[in-house]
Amino acid sequence: PACIENKSLSYGAEFRRFSVDRVKPGKFEEFSRLIMHIHRIANMELMIGYADVHGDLLPINNDDNFCKAVSMAHPLLRIFIQRQEEVDYTSFGTNTLTRRKKAVVTMRNDVNRKRPHIRIGMPQDFRPVSSIIDVDILPESHRRVRLYRHGSDKPLGFYIRDGTSVRVTPHGLEKVPGIFISRMVPGGLAEGTGLLAVNDEVLEVNGIEVSGKSLDQVTDMMIANSHNLIVTVKPVNQRNNVVRSSRISGSSGQSSDSGGSTGYPSLSVGGGGGALSAGAGGVALESDEEADIVIESSVKRPSRRSNASVASAASTASPAPPSPPSRPPSVVSTASFHSQLSLNGSTNHQHHHHHLSYQLHRDLNLQNGPQTSNPALRHSNGSLHKILSSLRTDPRHSLALPRGGVEEDGTVITL
Amino acid sequence: MYFSQSRFIFIHLSLFRFCHSLEHGFPHQPSALGYSPSLQLLAIGTRSGAIKLYGAPGVEFMGLHDENAVVTRVHFLPFQLELVTLLDDNSLHMWTLRAHKGVSELLEIGRFTLTGPPGAPPSVTRVTSVLAHSSGELLLLGTEGGHVFVVEVPGFRELEERNISLDQVANSVPEDYIGRRNLEHVETLQENPVDPNQVVIGYGRGLMVVWDLEKHQAVQHIPATQQLESTWWTEDGGHILSSHSDGSYCRWTVGGQSSKDEEEKSDIPYGHFPCKAISKIVQLPTEEGPPFLLFSGGMPRASYGDRHCISVIHGKTHVALDFTSRIIDYFVIRDGDPGALVVLVEEELVVIDLQTEGWPVIQTPYLVPLHSSAITCSHHVSAIPLKLWERLLAAGQLQITHYSPKPWPITGGQNLGQDPPQRDLLLTGHEDGTVRFWDASGVCLYPMYKLSTAGVFHTDADPNDNMNQCSEGEWPPFRKVGCFDPYSDDPRLGVQKIHLCKYSGYLTVAGTAGQILVLELNDEAAEQTVEAKIVDLLQGQEGFRWKGHTRLDVREEPVLFPPGFQPFALVQCQPPAVVTALTLHSEWKMVAFGTSHGFGLYDYQQKNSVLVKCTLNPSDQLAMEGPLSRVKSIKKSLRQSFRRIRRSRVSLRKHHVTNALQEANARLEAELAEMELAPVQRKIEARSSEDSFTGLVRTLYFADTFLSDSSHNSASLWAGTNGGSVFAYMIRMPSVEHRADEPITAHPAKEIQLMHRAPVVAIVVLDGHGSPLPEPLEVAHDLARSPDMQASHQLLVVSEEQFKIFTLPKVSAKMKLKLTALDGSRVRRVGVAWFGSSRTADAGESGLVVLTNQGDLNVVSLPSVKMQVQHPCIRREDVSGIASCVFTKHGQGFYLISPSEFERFSLSARNVVEPRSLVEVPANATAASKRRAAPDGASADNGYTLRLRQTDRQTDGHTHSITNVLDDVDEPPHSVMSCPHPAAVCDTTALSYAPIFMCS
Repeated sequence: PACIENKSLSYGAEFRRFSVDRVKPGKFEEFSRLIMHIHRIANMELMIGYADVHGDLLPINNDDNFCKAVSMAHPLLRIFIQRQEEVDYTSFGTNTLTRRKKAVVTMRNDVNRKRPHIRIGMPQDFRPVSSIIDVDILPESHRRVRLYRHGSDKPLGFYIRDGTSVRVTPHGLEKVPGIFISRMVPGGLAEGTGLLAVNDEVLEVNGIEVSGKSLDQVTDMMIANSHNLIVTVKPVNQRNNVVRSSRISGSSGQSSDSGGSTGYPSLSVGGGGGALSAGAGGVALESDEEADIVIESSVKRPSRRSNASVASAASTASPAPPSPPSRPPSVVSTASFHSQLSLNGSTNHQHHHHHLSYQLHRDLNLQNGPQTSNPALRHSNGSLHKILSSLRTDPRHSLALPRGGVEEDGTVITL
Repeated sequence: MYFSQSRFIFIHLSLFRFCHSLEHGFPHQPSALGYSPSLQLLAIGTRSGAIKLYGAPGVEFMGLHDENAVVTRVHFLPFQLELVTLLDDNSLHMWTLRAHKGVSELLEIGRFTLTGPPGAPPSVTRVTSVLAHSSGELLLLGTEGGHVFVVEVPGFRELEERNISLDQVANSVPEDYIGRRNLEHVETLQENPVDPNQVVIGYGRGLMVVWDLEKHQAVQHIPATQQLESTWWTEDGGHILSSHSDGSYCRWTVGGQSSKDEEEKSDIPYGHFPCKAISKIVQLPTEEGPPFLLFSGGMPRASYGDRHCISVIHGKTHVALDFTSRIIDYFVIRDGDPGALVVLVEEELVVIDLQTEGWPVIQTPYLVPLHSSAITCSHHVSAIPLKLWERLLAAGQLQITHYSPKPWPITGGQNLGQDPPQRDLLLTGHEDGTVRFWDASGVCLYPMYKLSTAGVFHTDADPNDNMNQCSEGEWPPFRKVGCFDPYSDDPRLGVQKIHLCKYSGYLTVAGTAGQILVLELNDEAAEQTVEAKIVDLLQGQEGFRWKGHTRLDVREEPVLFPPGFQPFALVQCQPPAVVTALTLHSEWKMVAFGTSHGFGLYDYQQKNSVLVKCTLNPSDQLAMEGPLSRVKSIKKSLRQSFRRIRRSRVSLRKHHVTNALQEANARLEAELAEMELAPVQRKIEARSSEDSFTGLVRTLYFADTFLSDSSHNSASLWAGTNGGSVFAYMIRMPSVEHRADEPITAHPAKEIQLMHRAPVVAIVVLDGHGSPLPEPLEVAHDLARSPDMQASHQLLVVSEEQFKIFTLPKVSAKMKLKLTALDGSRVRRVGVAWFGSSRTADAGESGLVVLTNQGDLNVVSLPSVKMQVQHPCIRREDVSGIASCVFTKHGQGFYLISPSEFERFSLSARNVVEPRSLVEVPANATAASKRRAAPDGASADNGYTLRLRQTDRQTDGHTHSITNVLDDVDEPPHSVMSCPHPAAVCDTTALSYAPIFMCS
């Protein structure tokens, strides 16, 4: 069947919808030409990206990741096109499209951003799965590991157990109860990182000490933090510890990169400690985590819906200086309309019985205005984020959506 | 001490104060019974080392031995406030009721263990019988070695010269006494009622020796040859009755012309075939007419060896009272003639009126077996309107006609507690389909009314399986007494959820087989047919196989319902899974219910289903197959085994009993062995939509709020699931005049999927002031301020892991409080409560009361969701205790500490229910005992340590003692300095109380 794609041109938020053969997508070169043809772009260095199921922006620049991208479509695939020179590579990767930083950006993040990029090559279809963080503040014998879970495709994959560990106390060595990693699930995230091993002692979960807590409590803490799990362990094998040298001791960013996450900026929230102590206060809403999905169905006052849509899309259109002449000014509502289509349209062969239309919005950015929260983000990227996050679908979430019919109108071009 | 010393833990704006205030129900595993005729107090010791005293209703005391040992004996010292307990670690403990500020407290004031001569085997001092001598000064302790030790009380001073050694007795035993074999242990010690200098020492071997304490010599030998079980010295002092292990008893003449030890009469009451032992025998005279003879046991071994009987013989009347569980002990209260027989059996206390024809049972005002059928759920309703209260009482009165009209015979102590400030009801749902209504306003949890839902259905119950039937001329003449009956005839009847509207008198009860009954209070009996509405929660979901039980079979003919709550509407869920959430809106006349498959909304005025929503995840195999989990199947098979046993008891096939028991045991052992093989490790995995039972509906909530826009409020239904989903439906109600005929509709309005996917355990809408919306009809009855509908409402979603506030009508997250991510505890029970300030009458605030799986109680403020107080309350291992917890609307709560007991606690500074009572030495007590009642310094020097009760099983004494000193303003800590006996202050708990002891 045909695979419908949706694309935007970031200098002007232009949308196109067309289809590609899912089984034989062809070569990247052809695809690139096709896009340039559809958008009537010529002789321009383009950066093509797509939104994967988790809402992450990932690049398309060779046959392999093009194939991967097409295979990700279900059935819509969102393609983003940007001028090569406008591309900010930091915007690729995990949570790049969903994450909004709060006004409080820690020092560490700023350091990361300013750090000159080491070109290891284009990040392909990589995503960080783990990192070692806070090497500068932890004893060398300890290791703080952050696991990145992307949706539900890969299990965290480890087990913990009770055990006994030996501590040095003022009264000499003392045996104390401890929590240990007991098993790794083959193919799981934990095993894949190579940073955790069976019999490593778990010392902290997201900055909170586990001593004095029961196995079940620690289990519940880990699961509750599974969207952003930071485990501090005392590895059973102490030979592979990160050796602190004066050269890198100042920057946790570098040391964390050496731990295996290739060239991705650490988007950590202060690496654990800081954010966690803030969390202990409890009430503040942290924006770093996955937000809840809210589906609101307008039972009787449909006018409200479009109001809301315009509001969310307004920022999309604002930084669009040279609007191509052929595009009507209705581009704003088009954008928002698309967002609904893409959500509802996934299984249009199902029932058409609902006249309700649903709007999905994510309860992000609560206190802050849409854009003001992070001045560091570039406008073009900002708008990109905006669109994508509003377009974002997730297989799990779309399951929960009532099935509505898809109606196509003139603004959608079907090839 | 236990009760009156409340544990002041935390004071926050004088709103919160935590204390365990008292225990309701029947003590778990009682092991000893004592009674003081002079104080008219009853004492019960338990296997866990607790000692509980009861007098008049409201007079209750409790103490706990530091040793976690079984209390084997309880003896009051005659005419005094002291009592002695013996534990199975062979230690003796002295307790007293000491008045402090006009309120009595139960205190342990001494402990003692017999020390034998050096090198003697432990059996020499192992206590097997205790006699508290009527002088109040002596304690006689018979031991396994056959010696009798004499100890002075209350100071526990051994009087070695008065000890009666086995040798002294053995030397004087007549030659012809069966070759003078070993006399064995001291089985009984009894004082001559007319001569306090004489005691009878009964040895296990059968020999009884009447001993003169003054002359220190044997007066008479009674050469019984059967193994001795008990002795009884008749009131005139002329006879001794002995009961024996072969089911016989003998009457011996004593005194007068010495050594005329003729056996006057011997009898095996249920003889011919071998009988079981008569464990205790009592004979009491009447002023005119024949005496009462009472004995326990003695049943024919083969046919009725498993019955728990006390036989009462008075003239020609002979009844074998057949109890529901093992007899611990019994005594008779006398007012001249024997008045009431008080029997402590393992699961209940039964009091039988011996002066009324037919010997009816007197209803107990306390110690009621809550677990007469296992408790499956509970529901608390605060501040019941007087009208409903009276109607309930009236309905309840009609149910207790078979009880004796006599007042409760145990009347010791004065209840000084104030009348409860309001009428509170605790409703318990039971496995047999009953709902019991308890007056929970005060110290006594008093039964008010019992509702049975079984009448609506045809059940498995075998109509011939009636144990009460007693055919004419049956021997022994059994009469069943007691109400403990743990065998449910049909587990599907089990009550799982209850919701009562106190304003309208509507009640809804939901059960194990997906049945939801709506009931109405009716003062008249009525005959009516209850029509069932079957609601298919699957909504066409395919691939479903229900392997669980079938739906209950509804009686189609009219059923006669007695006055009280009468069912008028019935919904049956299909599949008939256990109902997991239930709520009632009496103003809208709707009931919402949920199971593991979905939820529904039912209009009980039109008797019509309004909405059905399936929440089942098609990939969830477990939920698709029904409720046959492993644990439940064990339980079920055990239950069936027990029922087989029970039936076979009736059919007298004893070998079958053993077989069934062995079978059940073997099966249980196999299951347990299997469980133990699994290593203790926990999988760390994020929750996903594929998890099991994500569709299970955990909470349902009605709210009149802003769902679509901020200018139009409407009725709404909210549902939360195990998978972290919240569904909101807008309900369109017809106008009042068309309410009866126009259909109600419900439309999906919102759906929230919490990303942490933890089960949603509560949903609350907060009004413009941030206060929870009032209950239905609360405003109409002028009992609550109307909610603020001007400012915007907020939605509070409580999951097991977080408290999260969302805005309304547009749902977006506003604030949250994380629990699990920070300390690993999870929300188990949650309720909204109003905390009134203890200082200002009107001040106060609403808060969320939360019990976690760690057993901690928290108060979370509203609407700011901030943690206010936290206090450990229940041991985290006590899973059933945590699961049973129910909160009141005023910051109190109840939880089960055993299958038969509720512990009551309070988090509120204003609302505390605790016993306050005074027990005084009776006026007819001797001068000597009065003198002893006042403690003097000398006794403390004599090596008995002042020890105050550790009042709590869970709290560590640390917090408790420190805050106690800080907060107890009435007794400033500096008074400790004036304490003349530093030794008395060894326990920090005692700090603020030690001076009181010394000065009193």
